[in-house]
Amino acid sequence: MKSNQYAVKVYETTIDDEEQFIEFFNTNYMLFKDHLILIHGHLSKKIKEYLKSKSLTYLHNVELPKGRNRKALEEEICLVRRESAISVQIAEAKLKKISSKLQNNLTVLDRMIRSGQDINIEGDLLLLNRVNSGATLTIEGNLIITNIVEGAVRCFGNFMMLTTSPKANIIFHGVEVNNDLLKNKLNRVELKNNEIIITPVLKKEISWA
Amino acid sequence: MGIIIAVISGKGGVGKTTATANLGLGIGLNDQKCVVVDFDIGQRNLDMILGLENRVVYDMVQVMDGEASLKQALIKSKVSKNLFFLAASQSKDKSVLVSSKVEKLVLQLKKDFDFVILDSPAGIESGFEHTIEFADAAIVVVNPEVSSIRDADRAIGILDSKSNKVKQGEDVAKYLIINRIVADMVESGEMLKSEDILDILDIKLLGKIPEDRGVIDASNQGKPVILDKKSIAGQAYTRISGRLCGKQIDMKDIEISDSGLFKKIAGMFR
Repeated sequence: MKSNQYAVKVYETTIDDEEQFIEFFNTNYMLFKDHLILIHGHLSKKIKEYLKSKSLTYLHNVELPKGRNRKALEEEICLVRRESAISVQIAEAKLKKISSKLQNNLTVLDRMIRSGQDINIEGDLLLLNRVNSGATLTIEGNLIITNIVEGAVRCFGNFMMLTTSPKANIIFHGVEVNNDLLKNKLNRVELKNNEIIITPVLKKEISWA
Repeated sequence: MGIIIAVISGKGGVGKTTATANLGLGIGLNDQKCVVVDFDIGQRNLDMILGLENRVVYDMVQVMDGEASLKQALIKSKVSKNLFFLAASQSKDKSVLVSSKVEKLVLQLKKDFDFVILDSPAGIESGFEHTIEFADAAIVVVNPEVSSIRDADRAIGILDSKSNKVKQGEDVAKYLIINRIVADMVESGEMLKSEDILDILDIKLLGKIPEDRGVIDASNQGKPVILDKKSIAGQAYTRISGRLCGKQIDMKDIEISDSGLFKKIAGMFR
């Protein structure tokens, strides 16, 4: 890449009277011939032709960066640095908040979910008590229930862990799980490649009697 | 200062009113001052079961509205000098109940009596909510069948969220009475076992009452079954009232039928 850096002098103006402008330029042509002409407001065809005939370079309705002295530049650099430091801090705080949310996302409940109760939980849930008939649990995350479920469960997480639940109404990602598949003591229900897989964790105890 | 006990069930027809009448009388016979209040406004029954229907002059709503004094409205039981009764209004409906008036009434009763037993209406509507609102404890009456258990579960859920005591961060004591147990059916697995019911509802067991044909006749005659010393349901109510009055009485296993035991013994000698 080939590049060059240099300063240009700019003559900035707004044209009110065209004749006056042309006259002014004619008289001061020597002064302005190496300037970049910056015109704001209306630019007529007559003026365009005039500028062309004098082979002057011009820009119309453009905001140019203003040159500043060294002190101002240093101040700006300082400000930018400070701002970037602040934004780094904000980003770090956000990250911290998200990670703490991930860590505290697990809700542990040890109370009975009674008939008519409607529980919605955004994260994961570990439930150590029963879900009675007529109650509804909706879980966005993963779910582990160590006791019997007789009510309804809606789970949208990656996996569920359930005990034998012959009376429950269990819906995993919108699919009703057949209660006959949950006959082991502890069952794992997982979503793998859009397929629901049910595996026994603790097998049904064989009664020898 | 007494204790306010709400008798609830969720489902209708499980024996709330019968239990209220019998426990009220049982407490009275244990020499404790007791008042039973019928909160089933518009469908009062407790007066009939207590045999006091022709004594009702003023009702609870008239007391709350200041049309009658509490003293005028309280009806003394014919059987026990310790038992009083406050009737529900038969002409109005449940919408006449207002929290502030209910609170004033029950707190007044709590001051004068050892036990204030409120007979809740069936269901979980406003009448039920007013009954449990100021209760210190609740007696949940269920029958050993799934519909009754589920409705009771719902009622307990509401009790745990809407009662005043819970709102103040305290616990409402909850006790279970399992009514109308038929031993034969429990043995053959046709009826829910009380352990299963206790698993589902997770509250303390206060007592079990066996099915007894005498209960209906006793209610019709206005003589609560607890007065019949021979009745098995009456005996169960006597035990439960004793427990409420602080006596140590062991649970009697009424889920084993006598005939079953008899058969087993007979089988041994065969």
